[in-house]
Order: sequence, then C-alpha cells, then structure tokens
Amino acid sequence: MRGRTRFFVILLSPALVVLAAVTLAPFAFLISTSLTPLNLARPATWWDFSRPLLNFTDLVEDRRFINSLGVQLYLSAFTVSFQLLIGLGMAVLLNSRLRFLEAIRALFIIPMVLPPIVVAIMWKVLFTPDISILNWILGFLGLPQPAWLAHPRLALPAIIIADVWEWFPFTMLMLLAALQMMPAEPLEAARIDGASAWQVFLHVVLPLLRPAIVVTVLFRLIESVKAFPLIFVMTGGGPGTVTEATNYYAFLQAFNYSMIGFSASISAVVLASTLIVSYVIIRMVGTHVEVE
Amino acid sequence: MSRSSEPQKEPVRIGRRGIKSSLIYGQAIVFLLLTLFPVLWLLQMSLKVEAEAFQMPPKLLFVPTPENYLALFQGKFARSFGNSLIVSVTTTLVSMLLGVPAAYALSRAGFHAERGIALWILTTRMAPPIAFAIPFFLAYRYLGLVDTLSGLVVIYLTFNLSLVIWMMRTFFDGLPRSLEEAAEIDGAGPLATFLRITLPLAGPGLATTAIFCFLFAWNDFFFALVLTRSKAQMAPVAIVNFMNYEGWEWGKIAAGGTMIMFPVVLFSLLVRRYLIRGLTAGALKG
Repeated sequence: MRGRTRFFVILLSPALVVLAAVTLAPFAFLISTSLTPLNLARPATWWDFSRPLLNFTDLVEDRRFINSLGVQLYLSAFTVSFQLLIGLGMAVLLNSRLRFLEAIRALFIIPMVLPPIVVAIMWKVLFTPDISILNWILGFLGLPQPAWLAHPRLALPAIIIADVWEWFPFTMLMLLAALQMMPAEPLEAARIDGASAWQVFLHVVLPLLRPAIVVTVLFRLIESVKAFPLIFVMTGGGPGTVTEATNYYAFLQAFNYSMIGFSASISAVVLASTLIVSYVIIRMVGTHVEVE
Repeated sequence: MSRSSEPQKEPVRIGRRGIKSSLIYGQAIVFLLLTLFPVLWLLQMSLKVEAEAFQMPPKLLFVPTPENYLALFQGKFARSFGNSLIVSVTTTLVSMLLGVPAAYALSRAGFHAERGIALWILTTRMAPPIAFAIPFFLAYRYLGLVDTLSGLVVIYLTFNLSLVIWMMRTFFDGLPRSLEEAAEIDGAGPLATFLRITLPLAGPGLATTAIFCFLFAWNDFFFALVLTRSKAQMAPVAIVNFMNYEGWEWGKIAAGGTMIMFPVVLFSLLVRRYLIRGLTAGALKG
C-alpha cells in the first residue's frame, strides 16, 4: 500500500508544482504589485512599498473606476438575465425526444464555441452603419438607423445583445441537462390533478429547476466579466467611457497608460470577487465526488 | 436512467399531437436561423468582393470568389495562423502530459484535499485574465519571453492544466476498477497497470479533453494581444490588425474570421456532449 501511495504522489506532484508556479506565484506577484505605484516608465517605482495602500485609497476616489463598476454591473445584470430567459425558453422548447430536435440542438451551441474575437467581428459588421444589413432592414421598415456603437445610449445595449447571443447556448445547455434529469412522477401527478401546462411549468418544473438556475447564473456572472473582446473590437470602451467595464479599464491602465501597480489593484479586487463566487459554487455543487 | 414512461396514446389525440410537434419544429427552425444568421452573414461576406459585400439590398445569389482568402495568404496571415496552430498543439500536449497522470492519482488515491483542490482549480479557471496578464507580462519582460511562442504556451497552462486534471479525473472516476485490480493480482506494477489497462480505456476521455485544451488556446485573444508584438502574433490578433487607420479590410477580416472559426465549429460538434463539463472546469457533469 505504501508503494502505491508513493506512486500516486509521483504522478501528482509535477502537475501540482507547475500549477502552483503558473497560478499561485502570479497571484502572489499580482498582490505584491498592487501594493506598489509601479509605472513602467519610471523604474524607481519597482518594489516601492512605502505607501502600500495608496492604490486602493485612490481606487475608491477614482471616478472612472466607479463608472467602470457601474458599467460592469449593468452589463452583467442584463446579459445574465436575458441569457437566463432565452436559455430557459429554448431549453423548454428543445426538451423533447424528437429525433429532429436532438439533431438541431447541436447547431444552437455554435455561438458559444466560436472564438470570441470572431463573435465581436460579426456584431461589429451588424452594428456599423452603411455596411449593416440590420440598419438596412430598419430603414426598409421606415425606422431610424442609429450608429449603434457610437451612440452613448445604444453602445452598451449593442454589446449586451452580442453577449447574450454568444452565451445563451450555455444557459440553454445547463437547463436542458437539468430538465432531462427531472423525475417524471411529479409532472405526471400534477397533470393528472388537472393542472394546465403553464401551471405545471410554474409550480412544478420551475421550483425543481431552481438549483440548476442558481448555479448557471453564478457561472455566467463570473464569466460576464470576460466580455473583453466584444468591448475591444466593438467600442474600445467608448463613446467616452460608456462601455468601459472594469476589466477593460484595468487593461487600459496597465497596457495603454503603463500604470501597472494601479491596474494590479483593480485586478486584485476583481480576482477576490471571483474567488468568493467560486467558493459559493463549490459549496453548492460540492466536488461531485458523492456520485459513488 | 428511467425516462418519462410513454403514456398510452388515444387515437383521437394523434392528430393534435402532429400539429403540436410541427409547431415546435417551426419555432425551432425559426430560432435556429436567427441564431445562425450572424455566422452565415460573415461566411457569405468572406466569399464576396468588397464592392459586392456591402451592396444593399444584399445580393443573395452570387458567384463566390476565393479572392479574400488568397489575399490573406499572400500576406503575413499564414504565419499567424501557423503560430496559432503550433501554440495550441504544444500547450495541449504539455497539459495532457502533466495533467493526465495527476488526474489518475487524484481519482485513485483518495487524498483528503478534494474541496481545496476543487476551489483552487475552479478559481484559476474562472479568474479574470487580466489578473494573470499583469504578473506574466512583468515576468516575461524580465525573462525575455514577451513575443515568443513558448511564452504563450506557458500562460495557456494556467487554464488548460487545471482543465485536464479536473476533466480527466471525472473520466477516470467513471472507469471500472475491476480490470486494474485483476492486473495487479496478476503481478503488474501500478505504472504498468496505469499505462496498459487504464489509459487505453480512457481513450474517448483523452480525446475530448485534448480537444478542449486545443480550443481554449485557439480561441484566446486577450493573452495573445497583451503578450505578443509581431513575431509570435496569433491569428485572432492578426485579424484585428486588419482594422487599421487606413480603413477596415472587411474582405480579409471576414475570410480570416471564417478560417479561425472553422476548426472550432468542427471540433466542438465532436465534443458537444461534454461541453458543460468543459466550460465549468469539470465542476458540473452535465
């Protein structure tokens, strides 16, 4: 038995050492960087820990950072809600043993597996005036043809539309899986009692789906921070700072303005929130070892 | 698994059912066309000359031209495409080599750190890319790894290695142990048992996991943007560079976009049964 344990330790350790080197070490480095005013243009700012919390106090007063939180919140709230609604609707529609539906189900997942940069390009094409088929159709119908991505009120909704399109297949797949594992008995019982299809859905299906919905929403919430390619290609954070989500702002600070230390402090805040949500997910779904 | 028991059909109902299911078909097809529209639109754009591409009303019947694709490969795009291939394949191999044995050990040894490791892996998988980009960028500047293919291979390990460990663990968990036990009774050592008995059985899991690794590396834009300049430029960044100040080269953008999405669509249809597992870092089985 002891030999076996040693064998397993030998198999496990190289991966854990590498994983620690590429994840834990960078996180530690990130935190320590966030405590310095590191600016690549000024070498003296390396390892300057004289005022460790300066970045964080600056952060609280930074209008642009507060604005970016608002943008992120708006983006996350709308994308996740629409993805949930559409995904749920599609899951209910496609939850069937009809061979034809099973076949086309596969095609619905295409948006979420595409390279995000390609998704961004597709929607850039659809939202750019003069070349947009969308605007041509609007014009044809006698409706206004806005310059979506340059319009202060429409730029963020345009990004939300693209993001909802990209990720509704994820909520659809998750809820479809939950629907297919749902026990048939409560549904049958409700039907026998004379409940209408709508009542069965509201009072039986939806409550049974609740845990799946909560986990799906948490996953999408974490991932909604990663709309980077959409923002980068479609609006570049503009017009003004209307679409400048937190992640994008951190990117600008680090790689356009060279304010690495400040950007590290923003990233540390985002990372901490990710950790909290991940912890909640693990607590809720466990590590699924309980299968046996 | 017990599915809903087939209810006794009354003959009168069948007609109504037929109508109901064709209604569902109709809705499903309409939604599918809406969903695929942006993809098909990019595809047709890539096959038109510039003047034709933005003609309104759009020309639905047209003679496809390979012009945009040819133009793409006369430029530097071919090299970026090659870079993307090399990096994605290499990072897949390295992640699998390190991760598969680790996954096997986690599955069979019963270490008492399940929840801790799960949290670690999920967090690294879910962490905002910028949190990795900053420390890696600083380290790479120091080590001279900015704008190198090996630099990208290493940073892709941050998500792919944890993916391999977690996904392969669930695959190994699902394999019967009786064969392994039989082999060990016959005197095979643990290494031989792992290599000759377990690994061949895990073939489909290995293929699925490798495809996911490849796709995540292939689809990355952010790290490729931040950590490369020109030499090690990857295909997604090359496409964005066609949107420059002199104007957007839409033909090339559409053709390049089509080229990088093609392998992705193909591969993901192969692994679609495991998509949830892959996208939630194995936290959910789907």
